[in-house]
Amino acid sequence: MTESLLAVRGLGKHFVSGNETVPVIGKLSFTLGQGQSLALTGRSGSGKSTLLNLLCGLERPDAGTIVICGEVFEAGGTAALRTAKAWSALRRQRIGVVFQEANLMPALSLLENVRFRARLAGRDPAKSEDWLTRLDIGDLAQRYPDEVSGGQRQRAALAMAFAMEPALILADEPTGSLDRHTSDDVTRVLFDLQARYGCGLILATHDAELAAGCQQHLDLGHSGAV
Amino acid sequence: MRALLSLSTFFFLPRALLSHYRRHPLQLVALGSMIVLATMLWTGVSHLTSQARASLDQSEQAVAERQQVVRSDGRALAVEDFVTLRLAGLCVMPWLEVTPDTGSRIVGIDPLAAHCFSVGAGASQALDQPLDGNPFVDIYSAASMSARESRLYLLTPEATQASDLPPAYRLKTFSTSPDTGELGDSFLLNLEALGVLVLLITALLLRSVYLLGLAQRRDSFALLHRFGVSPGRVQGWLVLEILVLALLCVVPGVWLGRWLAAGLGSGFGQALDGLFDIPLYAGQGQGWLVPVLVMLAVVVIACLGDLLLLRFRERFTLARPTLAAMATTLLVAGLVLAWLSPALLWVFVAVALVFAGAGWLTPAAVAHLAHWRAARSRDPLAQWRFRELAVLVRRLTLPLVALQFALAMVLAVQALVTTFEDTFDRWLAQRLEAAYYIEVPAGADGRKAAEWLTSQQAKVPGLQWHRVIRGQAQLEAQGNAGSQQVDVFTVAPVGSLIRAWNLLDTADEPWGALASGEGAMINEQLARRQRLDVGDSLYLTLGDQAQVVPVLGVYPDYGRPVGEVLLNAEFLPDDFNIRFESFSVTPGEFGIAPVTDALVEIWGVDALTFRDNSSIRELATGVFDQTFALTRAMTLLTLILAASALLMMGWVFFSTRVWYFRLLVVWGMQQREVAGQLLRLALMLTGGVAVLALPLGIWLTWVLVHRINPLAFGWSLPMAVYPIFWVELAILSLVIGVSIAALMRRQLGKPAIAPASASALNGGER
Amino acid sequence: MIRNLGFALVLSLSLFAGCSGDTGDEGFAGLAGLESKEDASSGTDRPYLQPDPGDRLTFPADFGPHPQHRIEWWYLTANLETEAGEPLGLQWTQFRQALEPRAANAPAPASTSWPLQAAWMAHGAVSWKGQHYFAEKLARGDIGHAGATALPLQVWLDNWRLSGNADNSRWQLQANGEDWSYDLTLSIEGAPVAHGEEGFSAKSASGEGSMYFSLVDIAISGEVRLDGEVLPVTGKGWFDREWSSQLLKTGQKGWDWFALHLDGGDKLMAFRLRDDSGSFLSGTWLPAGGDPVPLRPEQLNLKELERDNDVPVRWLLRIPDYQVELQLNVPPGDYLNRGLYPYWESPVSVSGSHTGEGYMELTGYKLR
Repeated sequence: MTESLLAVRGLGKHFVSGNETVPVIGKLSFTLGQGQSLALTGRSGSGKSTLLNLLCGLERPDAGTIVICGEVFEAGGTAALRTAKAWSALRRQRIGVVFQEANLMPALSLLENVRFRARLAGRDPAKSEDWLTRLDIGDLAQRYPDEVSGGQRQRAALAMAFAMEPALILADEPTGSLDRHTSDDVTRVLFDLQARYGCGLILATHDAELAAGCQQHLDLGHSGAV
Repeated sequence: MRALLSLSTFFFLPRALLSHYRRHPLQLVALGSMIVLATMLWTGVSHLTSQARASLDQSEQAVAERQQVVRSDGRALAVEDFVTLRLAGLCVMPWLEVTPDTGSRIVGIDPLAAHCFSVGAGASQALDQPLDGNPFVDIYSAASMSARESRLYLLTPEATQASDLPPAYRLKTFSTSPDTGELGDSFLLNLEALGVLVLLITALLLRSVYLLGLAQRRDSFALLHRFGVSPGRVQGWLVLEILVLALLCVVPGVWLGRWLAAGLGSGFGQALDGLFDIPLYAGQGQGWLVPVLVMLAVVVIACLGDLLLLRFRERFTLARPTLAAMATTLLVAGLVLAWLSPALLWVFVAVALVFAGAGWLTPAAVAHLAHWRAARSRDPLAQWRFRELAVLVRRLTLPLVALQFALAMVLAVQALVTTFEDTFDRWLAQRLEAAYYIEVPAGADGRKAAEWLTSQQAKVPGLQWHRVIRGQAQLEAQGNAGSQQVDVFTVAPVGSLIRAWNLLDTADEPWGALASGEGAMINEQLARRQRLDVGDSLYLTLGDQAQVVPVLGVYPDYGRPVGEVLLNAEFLPDDFNIRFESFSVTPGEFGIAPVTDALVEIWGVDALTFRDNSSIRELATGVFDQTFALTRAMTLLTLILAASALLMMGWVFFSTRVWYFRLLVVWGMQQREVAGQLLRLALMLTGGVAVLALPLGIWLTWVLVHRINPLAFGWSLPMAVYPIFWVELAILSLVIGVSIAALMRRQLGKPAIAPASASALNGGER
Repeated sequence: MIRNLGFALVLSLSLFAGCSGDTGDEGFAGLAGLESKEDASSGTDRPYLQPDPGDRLTFPADFGPHPQHRIEWWYLTANLETEAGEPLGLQWTQFRQALEPRAANAPAPASTSWPLQAAWMAHGAVSWKGQHYFAEKLARGDIGHAGATALPLQVWLDNWRLSGNADNSRWQLQANGEDWSYDLTLSIEGAPVAHGEEGFSAKSASGEGSMYFSLVDIAISGEVRLDGEVLPVTGKGWFDREWSSQLLKTGQKGWDWFALHLDGGDKLMAFRLRDDSGSFLSGTWLPAGGDPVPLRPEQLNLKELERDNDVPVRWLLRIPDYQVELQLNVPPGDYLNRGLYPYWESPVSVSGSHTGEGYMELTGYKLR
């Protein structure tokens, strides 16, 4: 067993609707080792996106602890401001997030997007062009997001995520809006790079085939420890 | 089957189209309220302008009809004089001015005697005044008042000739307050120009809100198209929709505008009333039909103009550089035309060209500049910011241009109004240079009074005076054979009162030279017409004597339409025909009473015609202050409308953009940092607009003051700039920017939804 | 004659209201107001005097003003002829409207106080060859430029003036407008003719009325100037004096009035007051050389024969008791006096049982 990248203990999140408390994630515990991949599955509304938000600090849990990249976040524990700052720093340098779409700034070219992301993470922007080449879209570097196809956009999004040299990539249905062929293509590239650069990957999907490519599997349909 | 299909689309189509507004009620509210506000504003301004013009016309007519009959022996008029003149068949009306022991001046008139004023010369509305004590009452009430002072005048229509009068009477002009001449007219012309600008700005705002809604409905239009509804059909329904909406909103807008104008206008009316001493009820100005139709046309053209010209547009889609070149050409052509144009109409055309050019060029230029800066930027955040700015400018083109125009207009109106205020002050100062003005009665000798005043000079501390003699002279025009008649205005001694005059152009020591009789001064009108400059020679014939005198200075006349020469009265030839003589006196320590008493004795008359200039000055200044405040309020309102439109548009625009700002948070920037970026972006946007509005506003001021006024009225206003006001406007723009940023920040706190589909990425986003 | 009451009303209302206002529905709306004002003023120290059937005429005093009556007029119409034999009609009228009653023997207020007890109005008109010239003048009373005296007879407003000689047998009349003027000498023959009951002329069945007398034998000569052309004229005139404080009842809409010189020397005055519920007719038959006969309403029969632009221009007037059946014809032309309150004043020619000429006045029609 490799050293743990992420450890989740008793994570809970609920929403308040009127007088009622609706649990979204209840008592969830799991760990993810360095360079490992985890597939998150479950029906729509089962809390996949919420969990990803919790794991990158865009939302705060109501219960439990998250230990990520050596930093410990306890529900209600530390001062909120410090917590927000720490999460921001993590997202900036260690956690890459890939959404289903609209991962790119529309006013920047593909290359500028990658550079922007690398620069934010404190990485050398000079390597940005290499990342695009590695993802087979080097010739589209000067194009704007609206000038390329959906698959090419998602490749660019991956280039951005890897250009920041992350410890963990959170991908929320990254191929959800692509056709089968393109989707397979993008998935293959994602797993290749993840393996090559040894970063962790949590992939939220309801595509069983895609989930099968991951080393671990967490079905939120019946939440609990893995 | 086909019939069934078309039947279903007939019911389904309007519902499908309207469902957009059911889902986005705020947009409907925004569009509706924009139409209401725009209509209100424009109706208010135009209503006010037309009301002011009507009032002014009326009062000018009233003033034009003022001519009075006086006794040749200089004695005060009495009822017997009225009876004598009426029995002789002359149309005269009694005008009894009474200053009651308490309260303000009252004028008693006889409406029955006034009836003859309306015969022949057309109806005389001016005399059809309510007798409600403001200031008119029936002459019986005025005569029975306990009064400090009371004086009877007999007015006669302009048509009355001196030859109609019995021998013991003569004609004289009658005015109760200084005639502002064309100063008021000029102001109104500028106010009308303001109305046109307001209309343009409102059209831009309407268009921006409407196009935004249209863009958001594009998807549903595409869907309808897929269902087999022809685009023409959809357009037809859109036209109907906007017409209904316009009608629903224009009518309350016009009502509100009239209400606004009535509220503000009572002040304006009073201003003009006070100025001409006549309560003016100019009526309701234009009716309902004109403003409703104008606004309907504006709404339809602003919203559907390109829809109606769609084919045309498709055929002539212009490349961006071509457009920029065209806009630049328009701008340059407008600037050149405004500078060189010999006619008023062309100046207005030039203003239209410049605004069109600037309106087109500004957003393109700002976007271009932003791209240029982005390309040179090493900091990716700065690069992103400039790119976002370029998007913002393009997406918010219309409200931004509207704001730019509004800012430019406010700037120009502020400069104009301040200039007018200033000019008006100087104009008053020139005409009312002394504290009192005393007419020399017919048959009295002004020289004796001058001798007496000279003898008092040493005894009375603070006494300042000069004698004014008016008449006419022949001026030989240079270069051609003809000569023309000019008014001659002479004073003596050339003392401190007249030396306070402001000169447009001057030789060295002009007053000293005038005092020693070594030259003359001319008014602006004469200088312009005869192309005379300081140092040129005037060939004057005064009485029988021909003289050649150099021009020592040019003095402003603020709208006096006749050429005038100012000379030292001591050097007038004996045979000079004195048409009018008066004294301007600042009495110094002992007040005016000893002076008037002495003059009554010297001239052997019952009473003097004299005027207390300070009360006139007070009245006139108060009156204009009100008018100017009103104008400022109207322009400020326009600015607020433009600003709130930009706010609203900015808010709607950011709601489509908020996802990308959230991306920054996802990428590890703190909320605070993102908000900071947004603030910088918004400030760049509105600050940039303010900076670009500045040259346009200054240029507009210059055109109003230096081109339109001289072409329309033959005299120029001094051009002044007010940098402190620029700073105020800049701060206001920045406040608008901060407000936009604050609105954006609120949205940033809420969870964002990713743009709905890939098709949403259609170039408009960058 | 019951003329132009509306004018005076409009005038007085405009004075009180302080604006010219609008003339409402031809001025008659004010009539009811007059009655109520009558009631109000009857409570004051010095009410308006009301003529009643017992009142008698006094000469020459009744040629002068009656300041304690609300309204009165001096009214001359004339059927003249130019040297070329062309008919020329002419009118001169001066009205007095009291705003405040004053006893006949009370002194007039000082002119220096610009009093407002009475308003005067004068109308002058000339009708020739289908052309109609008209002018109107207004003045307040007691100032000096407008007024009237009984002996010698003087009635004046500005430079318009009717003035009689010491024995009141010869009058001079001058008036002028924009493009016309006249200067006439009037020879008064015959005694004043009292209408109605020795001067009390009833205006309704319920007894309201006015004091009314006429001079019907007036020979006129003089000069009329029209558009710079001087026309020597001769002919005959008809002069009316009438005063009252209340003439029309509420509901009366207007009147038709005729004064006719018939060729045999007979003369006739007749008027009709129009009412929603019918009309009131009255008149005086003046046989040549005989005594005037007051005509009762049922003795007169008046019928419109033809209208031109809503103005009745042809009439049938019958007095069966005297074998009179007259057709009255207005010569072509527009005879509307377009003053503060427009009314129709035109010469008429007479045919039928008698021939002759005269004058007609119409008020209360929709005149344009």
